[in-house]
Order: sequence, then structure tokens, then C-alpha cells
Amino acid sequence: MKTAFRSSVVALALLLLSTVMVAAQSNAASIQATAVVQQPINVTGARDLGFGNVFPGINKAIPVTDPNSGRWDVVGQANANVQLTFTLPATLSDGANTMPIASYDAHHNTSNSPSGGTNFTPSGAPTSAALSGTGALWVFIGATVSPATNQAAGSYTGSLSMTVVYF
Amino acid sequence: MLRRCSWFAAALVAALGGALAAQGGRPLRVDGVRELSFGTVLPGIPRQVLRTDPVASGEFQIRGEKFNPVELTFALPTLMTGPAGASMPVLFGGNDAGYSVTQSIASQVGFDPSQPFQSQLDKDGRASVFLGGTANPMASQRSGSYSGTVTLTVAYLP
Repeated sequence: MKTAFRSSVVALALLLLSTVMVAAQSNAASIQATAVVQQPINVTGARDLGFGNVFPGINKAIPVTDPNSGRWDVVGQANANVQLTFTLPATLSDGANTMPIASYDAHHNTSNSPSGGTNFTPSGAPTSAALSGTGALWVFIGATVSPATNQAAGSYTGSLSMTVVYF
Repeated sequence: MLRRCSWFAAALVAALGGALAAQGGRPLRVDGVRELSFGTVLPGIPRQVLRTDPVASGEFQIRGEKFNPVELTFALPTLMTGPAGASMPVLFGGNDAGYSVTQSIASQVGFDPSQPFQSQLDKDGRASVFLGGTANPMASQRSGSYSGTVTLTVAYLP
């Protein structure tokens, strides 16, 4: 009788202590994983580079300050650093006829003006720039066409591409 | 009656002493000391944080009984939640967690945070756990702040 009672008491004590043992043998804590996603970059071809009428044998240059210079408009994260790269044709084409285009120059600005920003030579190598406080950037481009003396009459076109990435 | 109470008290003390001997005496404690920070993330461009990054990696500190073996278990998010209900995938690779008995980020044993990991505390009853990962924003990821909860559970092993 006494032995049975003592055994019961010991068992009860161990049962009570088991909850304490479990609580002290493990613990947990949490931290946060965080990230801030920036605005995606949006690039728009806003204006063609237009040489208008050209004459055989007479070069024609359109500087970035010309109203007919080409223009891209960029929108993204405010004040973000970006890199500009270009794919530029060496000729304009009208069917099988081609006309050289070269001497590209460009200008990037955080306001919509071809002066007051930064002049640069556009190429496949990255050019660094920064978006404005409202996440905007304007890029202007000019070039020179060199029609041959026997250049065939016609409408000549080519495609100029600009890629903008954050960095 | 008095004799029965004495027996109960003696049994309780004996059980308590046994329990303390079994768990090593010092209670186990885990603290989250630094969040896992992916910082600025660009749409469409994954951003990886290494567990060895002293600024951006997550960190937990463990305190308990010296030399006691422990088992670590992570509860990891698969998504971080952001503005207007947007979510962004977050990945944890097989070497993205690290355990350091010296509590040094420069001296850790790498392990897979998706699996339980067993080791032991040092002579002072301490250890640190570091965590890296990869945020995977989509090209159309909505801009804004994202977060997710990482929980580390540490248990003594017998």
C-alpha cells in the first residue's frame, strides 16, 4: 500500500516536471527578411532623328540641339543610377540602296532640353547617367549622313536602339 | 499525512534534480540580432545575400549550457509580401545558413537551412547562426517594400 502510494507520487512528480523540462530545452526567435523593389525602367522612343531632304554628295549633320534630333524619354526610380548602351546603324537603307550615317553624338539631361546636361558619344559601351528626383531622363541624339554623289533618290531609314539598365 | 507530503516533496526534488542534470542546467535562449536585408532590388534581377555578408545577412545568437548538443530548425518563407498584396519569391539554397561556435561570421560551418542541423554549443554555451538567401523579383514586380518572417528554433539534444 505504502509502496504503491510512493510510486504514484514519484510518477506524478515526474509528470509535473516534464512540462518544465520541455519548456527549457527549446527556444525560438524570428527575424525579418526585407527588400525594397525599385520602379521598373520604361524607355520610349519620343522623336525620330530626321535629316529631311539631303543632296547627293553633300553631307548633312543634325546636332543634338537641332529640333530634328532624335530623342528617348526614360522613366524609372527617382535618383537611380543607370547605364545607357546603343545599337546604331552604319547605313540608312532604301531597299538595296544604302547611305552612310556616322559621327553620332548624344546628350543626356534630367530636364527635357538638349543643353545643360551631359554630352557623350553613344556606343555599345555603357554610359553612366542618373535619373532625376522624379525618375526622369531625356536622351538626345544627332549624327551626320554622307550621301554619295550618285546616291539614288529615295527615302532612307535605319533603326537606332537605346537600352537602359539600373546599376 | 505529513509523511506522505514529505515523500511527495522528496520525489519532486529528486525529479527536478534529474531534470536539471538531463538538460545541463542553463535554459536555452535564442535571439534574432540582425534581419536578412536584400536592400534595393531591381525588377527582373535576382539579388543574392551571402551568409558571410557582415551587413546584409541575418543573424541569430544562441546561449545555453556549455558543450550541450543542439538541433537547429528554420521556418523559412517562400514569398515576401509587399504593397497591395504583391509577393516576391525568396529562395534559400543548400549552403545559405552557417553555424559558428566562435560567433564569428568569418568562421562558420555551412548548412542547408531547409533541413534540421545538429551541432553543439561552445565552452561558454554560445553560438551564432547566419543566414543568406536570394530575392527573385519578377520583371513586372510592383515597386515598394517587401518583408517575410524567418524563425529559428533551437532545441537541446539528449
